[in-house]
Amino acid sequence: MMSTRALGLGPALRKAAFFPNATRKQTMLRNIVAKRSIQIQSLPPSAGQEILNKQRLVRPSTPHFTIYQPQLTWIASIFNRVTGVGLSVLLYGFSIAYLVAPGTFDSAHVVEVVAGLPEGVKYAGKAILAAPFAFHSLNGIRHLSWDSIKFLSLKGAYVSGYIVLGATAISTVALTLIK
Amino acid sequence: MSSSLVLRSTFSRSLVHRLAARSVTHARYATSEATQFKYVPGGPIIQGTVNDPTTFPPPSRSHGSYHWSFERLLSAGLVPLTAAAFFTTGSNYPVIDGLLGVTLVMHSHIGFDSCLVDYLHPRKFPVLGKVATWTLRTATVATLVGLYQFNTNDIGLTELIARVWTA
Amino acid sequence: MQSLLTAGRSVHLALGKRAFSSSARRWQAVPQEKPVLMKEFKIYRWNPDQPEKKPELQSYKIDLNQTGPMILDALIKIKNEIDPTLTFRRSCREGICGSCAMNIDGQNTLACLCRIDREGSKNTKIYPLPHMYVVKDLVPDMTLFYKQYKSIQPWLQNDNPPEKGEHLQSPEDRRKLDGMYECILCACCSTSCPSYWWSQDEYLGPATLMQAYRWIADSRDTQGAERKERLQNELSLYRCHTIFNCTRTCPKGLNPAAAIAKIKLELAVD
Repeated sequence: MMSTRALGLGPALRKAAFFPNATRKQTMLRNIVAKRSIQIQSLPPSAGQEILNKQRLVRPSTPHFTIYQPQLTWIASIFNRVTGVGLSVLLYGFSIAYLVAPGTFDSAHVVEVVAGLPEGVKYAGKAILAAPFAFHSLNGIRHLSWDSIKFLSLKGAYVSGYIVLGATAISTVALTLIK
Repeated sequence: MSSSLVLRSTFSRSLVHRLAARSVTHARYATSEATQFKYVPGGPIIQGTVNDPTTFPPPSRSHGSYHWSFERLLSAGLVPLTAAAFFTTGSNYPVIDGLLGVTLVMHSHIGFDSCLVDYLHPRKFPVLGKVATWTLRTATVATLVGLYQFNTNDIGLTELIARVWTA
Repeated sequence: MQSLLTAGRSVHLALGKRAFSSSARRWQAVPQEKPVLMKEFKIYRWNPDQPEKKPELQSYKIDLNQTGPMILDALIKIKNEIDPTLTFRRSCREGICGSCAMNIDGQNTLACLCRIDREGSKNTKIYPLPHMYVVKDLVPDMTLFYKQYKSIQPWLQNDNPPEKGEHLQSPEDRRKLDGMYECILCACCSTSCPSYWWSQDEYLGPATLMQAYRWIADSRDTQGAERKERLQNELSLYRCHTIFNCTRTCPKGLNPAAAIAKIKLELAVD
């Protein structure tokens, strides 16, 4: 068996063995099939679409962000969006609150409430506000440079990404320490 | 039905039976396809055949390049504006508060809107998407008015941030 | 019997270099036993014949010292020797056909270009391309991806062809196509893009957009304006938020993010 495969004689031998009486065998086979009485349902070509669509409906969708490796690229992008949304919600929230109740949300009241907070809470609050602001602003500049065809290589994206992260850390500390 | 009558006279019974079954299945496939396999955006059913290209929405520059350029100019404008707000006080330069009150809100609106287009587009969420879009529009208008009033009647945005920061 | 046969064959493979150098020495060489280095592969399985069964990770352990260096070698070994029902696409095994694109240890890449991490204690997880409908196991349905590629009309269109001979192009213009024409459409980049995950029914994705730019940037093509006009809507192109996953993951080292940024800038100054 191994030698026939190695010599490539397989097809030739098979042909020699089967060809002379191939037609006779075929009719025999057909008789056997008929006697077995297999039910064959004939479908129009258009039925193929339904079979395919039926299968499509049960197909699962493959997992995505749960299995994708965390990379600076998309993690930074998520944070850019989350920080932007967070800061904007604050802006919208305060502005609408002032529109609805200008008496309670005027500057004097707001400053008074903040001034009454313990020192630790003040610093924590400032850090929580400063970090997203710094990141979103600096990463925004990174995005603007990409949009003007700068740092568009993979290396450029990573180097600028790490610069933004470093600068965010420094500015967060600096902004938090402002008295 | 008439065709099967004609056929019965000439062909064998089984053949007629098979042909009739075929025409019935043909009709069944034609009708069920439209109802059962409706195209849902993002769903597994695909519009057209495998060989048809996907189609494009009607071109609209105000949703395309104009929108993009406007957003970039706005963002770029925010850079010097933020820097200016850092080194001056709003009460001395109310124009900065006024500009921030508009650009910051527009920048936020476009940001929120791009979240809605990404996650809650009306093509996928016909009701929730529209509700969200109109809620955002209302909120943006309210914010513009609220911030304008705060900037004119109170100390203004930058001064508020400065005071809260050093409170 | 089978194990004896395979063991004999693998010894031959291990001695491959020497065996070819001299047929006389082949029989004198002492077969070196390599230590067994077992590694676990966890592979996503889903069978369309049992659609009610949820997709799951199936674990296979193979000896890396009896396996080729690439993930595709491991997959073929598993299919040949452990589980013939494991289904995946493969063809060229040298990174030019794009068939074996899949998510290996969290990154989209070609199984034939991805080396096996030889750290035996860590398992390797293999999933199909992310956020695609599964045909079976590691085979995703690529129909929409190909339909989108077709929609950008990826062929040369010139309404004023030269009277004689071929379209001429300066070396400088030709260089603009470098880094784009090499794309093999494996879909690694598109399926790594979160925007494509959420909006793939309308957003074209990095692979298709880079090919769109490949024809916009071609000096021989005269339909650039029409090509650009088609992208003027909020979904086809502008769902790109320059996330850079595409460039990060491209197994051919191409840069779809840069191509898309260039389209956006060209549309803006139009």
